[in-house]
Amino acid sequence: MSYLLRTLTKKEEVDSMIRDTIDKLLVLRFGRSSDSVCLQLDDILSKSEREVSKFASIALVDVDSEEIQVYIKYFDITLIPSTIFFFNAHHMKMDSGSADHTKWVGAFHRKQDFIDVVEEIFRGAMKGKLIVNCPLPPERIPKFQLLYKDV
Amino acid sequence: MEATSETKNPNPSTVSTESNSKTKGKNSTFEFCKVCKLNHNQGRRHNYFPNHVKSLSSFLSRFQSKLADIRFFLKNPSLLRPELASHNRFWCVFCESDVTEHGSSFACENGISHLASADHFKNLKTFMWKHGGGMDRIDRFRVSEADLAKYEKKCISMKKEGASEQSRGPLIGPSNDIHNELKFDYVDNFDRSHNSSFPNGVLPLQNHTNEKYQVSHSDISGSYDNKSLLLATDAMHSNNYKGNAGKSCLNKSHLQNGQVYAEKGEANGEGSSAGLQKLTQITSTVHGADSGIGNVHSGAPPPWFDTTNAIHFDPVKKPVKSKLNPKRVGAAWAEKRKIEMEMERKGELPANKFDASWLPNFGRVWQSGSRKDSRKEFQVETKKPLKDEINQSHDSTIQLQPYISKRMRRESNNE
Repeated sequence: MSYLLRTLTKKEEVDSMIRDTIDKLLVLRFGRSSDSVCLQLDDILSKSEREVSKFASIALVDVDSEEIQVYIKYFDITLIPSTIFFFNAHHMKMDSGSADHTKWVGAFHRKQDFIDVVEEIFRGAMKGKLIVNCPLPPERIPKFQLLYKDV
Repeated sequence: MEATSETKNPNPSTVSTESNSKTKGKNSTFEFCKVCKLNHNQGRRHNYFPNHVKSLSSFLSRFQSKLADIRFFLKNPSLLRPELASHNRFWCVFCESDVTEHGSSFACENGISHLASADHFKNLKTFMWKHGGGMDRIDRFRVSEADLAKYEKKCISMKKEGASEQSRGPLIGPSNDIHNELKFDYVDNFDRSHNSSFPNGVLPLQNHTNEKYQVSHSDISGSYDNKSLLLATDAMHSNNYKGNAGKSCLNKSHLQNGQVYAEKGEANGEGSSAGLQKLTQITSTVHGADSGIGNVHSGAPPPWFDTTNAIHFDPVKKPVKSKLNPKRVGAAWAEKRKIEMEMERKGELPANKFDASWLPNFGRVWQSGSRKDSRKEFQVETKKPLKDEINQSHDSTIQLQPYISKRMRRESNNE
């Protein structure tokens, strides 16, 4: 599925993607294309890319790449797939009731869910909000367990 | 300016009557000074007004700058394309006439001949006398006979070269012929050729049109040698001359045409379609001489694909210029980055000049404060680990070893 979307493997690529996406929501999917859940998410992303293309651009990031490790560390990515949203090089958070507001962990259940989330974040960003509430009902938000090293 | 000079002496006639009573009657008549573009009744005195002197010098220098171009072509004559002839003309201020370049094969040819003409000289002298330009300056505004003779010599030599090269295509060819012969000869020739071509009757025309295509095929496959081409052109010229010389009935000229072509065909040994070969071959010579770059057959790029001065339009111009909320997330950053990107696109800024350790703003999980804070935190953390390890190792050694005072240490060492 990953061939349908642009895959970034270098830090500079991610940098320029974040910097050059202006007044549009940038969706970065961190994961690896061999993972089954990633494939599921990629499928949804690739199918909805065209529909959200006016206000969002989507890119995949390969977590196995050596140069990406600094971002993996920076974004605290421990589970794949993790989806992170940016707007004008600013990180966008979403309160989805889970422990981690900074990213969406796991796949979306269906295409419309993803579009709703992207739209909600975009609307929030255009209003100057750095954090938005998740528009999806809790049963369609994937659950995960965060294990903290120090806690 | 002139107005002020006029208003200074509102009743100039009275003044002038005092100064020169002899020309009293003349002073009252107004005349137009075309240098100052002004009606005045000052008579000859007008020429000495500072305003007139000023405008005369600017008037003359303007015309002289125009003449500079013409003098350039006088030094080095160049061929004039017939299609550019309409652009190439000038207004002679002394003769008040427009000198066009229609029918001249060299740039500014008519202009130069006009400047050298006796009429122009006369008008120039009159002008200078009338407006007080100074007779010593006359030579600047005309072309001397010596220069004209030199120019004509150069033109003739160029013409010969052009005729020998035959490189300018069929349009220039006949204009070269104009020079070889006198004007009325050319006109005569022109009429004749028209006469001979139109009422020549149906037969030759049919031959031409029929065989054009076959011949062109055979040409492409077959002979491209220049000799035959030259022969063909020669044949054409001789044919023209024959047509000229033999001022006979049309049928006769037609016959001559046929004979000439037939002979040429035999000389080349190229079948019966010789009559039209000439035409096709001439077009091929034009292509061969002009191109040097190649043509369709040699696989050269077509002229509209000229990549050297192609205007490169950027496909991604600007996203959508809509009214965006100025309070949206990262608005200031977006504006700044947009300008940067625009400059990068124009090449004013080097692209991707940001450092490799750049990181976007990211709000971490357990983080309060702005997004920038977490980035700084992370940058501190990434530098820290080494330091932490060193500190920890120090701590451990210190913790393991109980504190021994200096004195005790010294004592122990002594012991």
